[in-house]
Amino acid sequence: MTSRLKRKLGDIGVDTSSAKANENFCLIGTPLPPLEKSRDTGEFVPLWKQEVRDEKGRRRLHGAFTGGFSAGYFNTVGSKEGWTPQTFISSRSDRTKKKVAKPEDFMDEEDMQDIRDSRKIVDTTDEMDLTTGRQPEGQDDPDVDPLTTALQSAILPPSKDSVGARILKKMGWRVGQGIGPRISFKQWRLQDLQSSARAGLTLPRDEDSEEASKHTYAPRDTPVLVVERKDNSHGLGYRPGMSLNDSLGVKSGNGSSTGPNISSGFGLGALNDADEDDLDVYDGSSANVRNRIAYDASDHHDGSRISLGGSKSNFRSASGPSLPTTKTFRDGTAVLPGFVLSAKPVMEDRWYPLPDIPPGWKPDPKRVWSQSQTQEQVSVANKENVEQDNKAAIPYGKWKTSGLSADERGSILGETPLPSAPRSVFDYMSQKDRERLKNITASLHAPPTAGIQTTTTPDATSADQPSPAPTTATPRIPRTDPQIARAALNGFKPFPTNPIKQARYTAYLQSQADISSIITLEPLPHQSIPEFNSEMEEYAQSAVVFKPMSGAMAGRFTTAAIVEHGPQVIEGLHTPAFEDKSSQDSAAMSEDEKKAKEEQVLSPKENAARIGMYGSLTRETIPWQPARLLCKRFGVKDPNPEPKAEEPSSTQDPSSTFDSSIPPGANASDASTMDYGIVSSTNAGNNSTGTGGPRDLANVGLGDDDDTQGRDTLTYERPSVDIFKAIFASDDEDSSDEEGDEKAGSDHELNETKVQSLENTGNTITFATSIVAVPSSVPALVDDNPVDFNTFKPTFVRREARTTTTDSDKQEKKGKKDKKKEKRKAIVSFMDDDAGDSLNVVVEKPKKKRKKDKEKDEKSLKSKQEKETSLNVVVEDDDDMWVEKPAPPGVNSLIDVKMAEFSVLASVGSEVQRGRKRAVDFL
Amino acid sequence: MTSSRGQLPLARTLHVTLEGHKGPINVARYAKGSAKYILTGGQDRTIRLWNANLGTEIKAFSAHGYEILSISVAHDNAKFASSGGDRSVFIWDVTTGMTTRRLPGHMGKIHVVEFNEDASVVASGSFDSTVRLWDLRAQSRSPIQILEEARDAIQTLHIDSTTIITGSVDGHVRTYDIRKGELRSDYIGHPVTAVVPTQDSQTLLVTTLDSHIRLIDATNGKMLNDFTGHINSSYRCRACFGHGEATVVCGDENGMVWAWDLLDAKRLQPNPPPKVHSKVITWTEHHPSDAGEMITASADGTCKVWQHPT
Repeated sequence: MTSRLKRKLGDIGVDTSSAKANENFCLIGTPLPPLEKSRDTGEFVPLWKQEVRDEKGRRRLHGAFTGGFSAGYFNTVGSKEGWTPQTFISSRSDRTKKKVAKPEDFMDEEDMQDIRDSRKIVDTTDEMDLTTGRQPEGQDDPDVDPLTTALQSAILPPSKDSVGARILKKMGWRVGQGIGPRISFKQWRLQDLQSSARAGLTLPRDEDSEEASKHTYAPRDTPVLVVERKDNSHGLGYRPGMSLNDSLGVKSGNGSSTGPNISSGFGLGALNDADEDDLDVYDGSSANVRNRIAYDASDHHDGSRISLGGSKSNFRSASGPSLPTTKTFRDGTAVLPGFVLSAKPVMEDRWYPLPDIPPGWKPDPKRVWSQSQTQEQVSVANKENVEQDNKAAIPYGKWKTSGLSADERGSILGETPLPSAPRSVFDYMSQKDRERLKNITASLHAPPTAGIQTTTTPDATSADQPSPAPTTATPRIPRTDPQIARAALNGFKPFPTNPIKQARYTAYLQSQADISSIITLEPLPHQSIPEFNSEMEEYAQSAVVFKPMSGAMAGRFTTAAIVEHGPQVIEGLHTPAFEDKSSQDSAAMSEDEKKAKEEQVLSPKENAARIGMYGSLTRETIPWQPARLLCKRFGVKDPNPEPKAEEPSSTQDPSSTFDSSIPPGANASDASTMDYGIVSSTNAGNNSTGTGGPRDLANVGLGDDDDTQGRDTLTYERPSVDIFKAIFASDDEDSSDEEGDEKAGSDHELNETKVQSLENTGNTITFATSIVAVPSSVPALVDDNPVDFNTFKPTFVRREARTTTTDSDKQEKKGKKDKKKEKRKAIVSFMDDDAGDSLNVVVEKPKKKRKKDKEKDEKSLKSKQEKETSLNVVVEDDDDMWVEKPAPPGVNSLIDVKMAEFSVLASVGSEVQRGRKRAVDFL
Repeated sequence: MTSSRGQLPLARTLHVTLEGHKGPINVARYAKGSAKYILTGGQDRTIRLWNANLGTEIKAFSAHGYEILSISVAHDNAKFASSGGDRSVFIWDVTTGMTTRRLPGHMGKIHVVEFNEDASVVASGSFDSTVRLWDLRAQSRSPIQILEEARDAIQTLHIDSTTIITGSVDGHVRTYDIRKGELRSDYIGHPVTAVVPTQDSQTLLVTTLDSHIRLIDATNGKMLNDFTGHINSSYRCRACFGHGEATVVCGDENGMVWAWDLLDAKRLQPNPPPKVHSKVITWTEHHPSDAGEMITASADGTCKVWQHPT
């Protein structure tokens, strides 16, 4: 601020020292961007930070062609998961509101943009109104009222020229002119000529060509090719009303060749008529081009030649004056030109009067057939006369299948058979042998009653045999393979509606199934022999068809439980049976009888049920085989196990009947039981059910129906010791070795057991097995047989189960048992046990203890036996040595009963106990 | 039996009404054990679980596409089976309310489904006249066995530890004895709609469509008693034993609950009984242990729990 200004301002009275006075409005340099908006839009952003956004600021990167990766969720439809499920809203009520969907409704902005882009500015398809031209052009027309034009333009839609037309008009083209540069008069004339030649018109020639040639002309407009729509069903090129020759391309009005077409190379005298030789056959330019003949026309005379588009004279004579076109058929339609209406009808209908039906005649086709049959039979009798006629009447197919062989025909015709063709094995036989054979066959075939006969005398079939060629009259019974016949006998019988046929079919099958059978079939009394033969053929075929399927296929089909009995078909025309009055009366009368009959029809079962006599009459008991798995699921033994390997128990006396009151051990095994002193309840069960006698509800489920129970134990043979060693003894031995190291001389007992340990490992099982398995009938067991792992393993497992399940039964023995159990458990889990002596003891002791225990048990048992109930003993013993299936849950309730039985068993108890000990020793 | 005879009349005091089904109820079963819950299945394609004492609906099981005709509860109440118009047996898990298995195979609607004692096998009797026994232990989808002896639709089924008893429209009661391996078929002569054996499996209570309920001796097929008076000619009504098997109870087609003395087959008072349902009573079941409780299910869409007034 200069001092002068300061002074001046001071004079005015402005405080020059104030901030306002010193305000500076000059800006020097580029100001920095405001702090809050520091981001420079043009700033460089690395590629990975760049974001593509559309015009609305949305991140929009989809579509492979717009350089994107994302599709779906962000900007398009639905939710993160995809399409948003929407509840269905019925549009039924507001159907009127619904608009017709346009394609645009389904488009997004991109699509719309595409459409907009692809829209053409110039529509080349606009229709052109060439007649009116542009309205503004006509405005300067003087005789047109401007008001009318204004109104017109307001009311009428402006007629549109296409852009092309508009451009053309601008270039000087006028409607009606051709397109192209202007041409000279000469060219213009030429164009006219060309077009007129095409159209068949002649143009008036302009005279003032001189004047005209001074100007140039617009070219002629190209005629628009108008293609007529074909809306009729005529052939191509045919116009209605065209004559036959027109359609062939012969131009009738063409006067160019009125005379004969003379070949060009030859002259023709004035007096000479055109000869055949002078005619130019090969001239293609004649109008009659189509009428070419593929053969030499000179070979034929005119009369014999028939050609469609014939020569002119023919044509004239046919279609010319003789035929007025007004001729019509009788129904009014016009006769085609070129055709003549025949005076005579083509076909005459000849009507024959119906033959007089004799009074009282009834249609009876059966009679006719039977007549023909008898005729046939007659024909068989005298072949020479009738046969020929008959054969002629038979259609070929039937004749072919009628079964006449060449030989038969030959014999019918009386030919001598060819000598070189022996017919069968019989021809090689001597006459004597043949006779003998015949006799044998005759004696085999015996006639039964009603067509099925067992004969003892040689019958007609064998009598016919000697004729070298058997005729159709011979009853022939086709062979069926015995196996097939046997199978078919078991299978479906195809004639359920016809019992006679069914029976005969069965008989046929039987005769075929068993070669030695004495059943032969004979024709029924009313049956002719061909019929019989065809019947037999039918049987043979049905046998093949209806034999049950074998193998895997059979399992896929099941037979219907009910056979549909179709209605009995009565052949021939239906003639209502004449019912006389008496029969009607009888029908009325028989109402009651019918009722009675219906009651009779009721089976005794139904009768019993009706009168309430339920019981044995209404009860049916049939064997039923439950599936094995079902038995397993119900915890029941299979009642009818498949007969597998013959078990020893089944060799026992089958006649011994079961009596539940008598302990079975006592009656079945006397001496041997004394010897071995072993009776187990299951053994008893074996004895009883081995009989296979009738079951009683009282004894079902008491364990004795379980004849396979313990079978594996009985049949079990002790495997060699090595097996046991392999399975069990390895650990034991190791540990026993260890034990031996540690406690070598410590305990006398232990030493003893160590020696026995090996044996014991096996014996824990063999106790049970070999002891029980020595009833009287069982053969001596051999120890060194290979082990059966199947039987072996389950026994082991079950044993464990058994000990647990019968736990409750051994309450008294609990103390001892518990000890044992602990040890047993210890065996299982000894790996987890603490190291030290407990381990060794645990491992070794069970074995030793087991034996000792056993002995002790037995001793104590023996001593206790008088005091205690033997029930427990038996059960306990059973537990120890008898390995049984785990008790099924359903049978649990029956345990009481079982125990009761055991207590019955106690009556034999004393011997039993003694014997047991001995058995142990025996081992 | 005689001890309770005549002492406890039928529980005829309405305790609660279980309403919720939209349409007829076809079956109502007590749960096993203490039987505090009731499962009902109806024409509305749902199975509902009710508290029998409070009458509250606990759960609705819906997966069936057709009506439910039969329910069977497993011994441990953990699962139950149901069947109906959709030709397959559904095995449900009670807690999750989902089907654990669907066993297709029948050619017609399944009228009855029943577990065996340990729920390892389920048997289904169908309109196609077969009984199919399904294994629930294994994963196989094919039945263990198909019992095809019946000539008409199977209407009822009972399984105890070793026998399967079926009642069919062909008028037979068939007892398949698995232990003996034999089939005893008793001809009743009228379509059998329900067979309920006594606890000792010695007698069978057979309901037939001739308005008779017969007590049949299971051992020889003789009729021991015949209970009549009610009307049952076209619907499946199930008769059952009253408490202690001293009485026979049956709801009939008029909506009345009838009761008879088991031994002399006399109708118990009131005779005739009051009409308690507006439509046919389709199911009558007595509480397995409680002396004075029973349920009736009816086509009027309600299931009623009856108790003695206390």
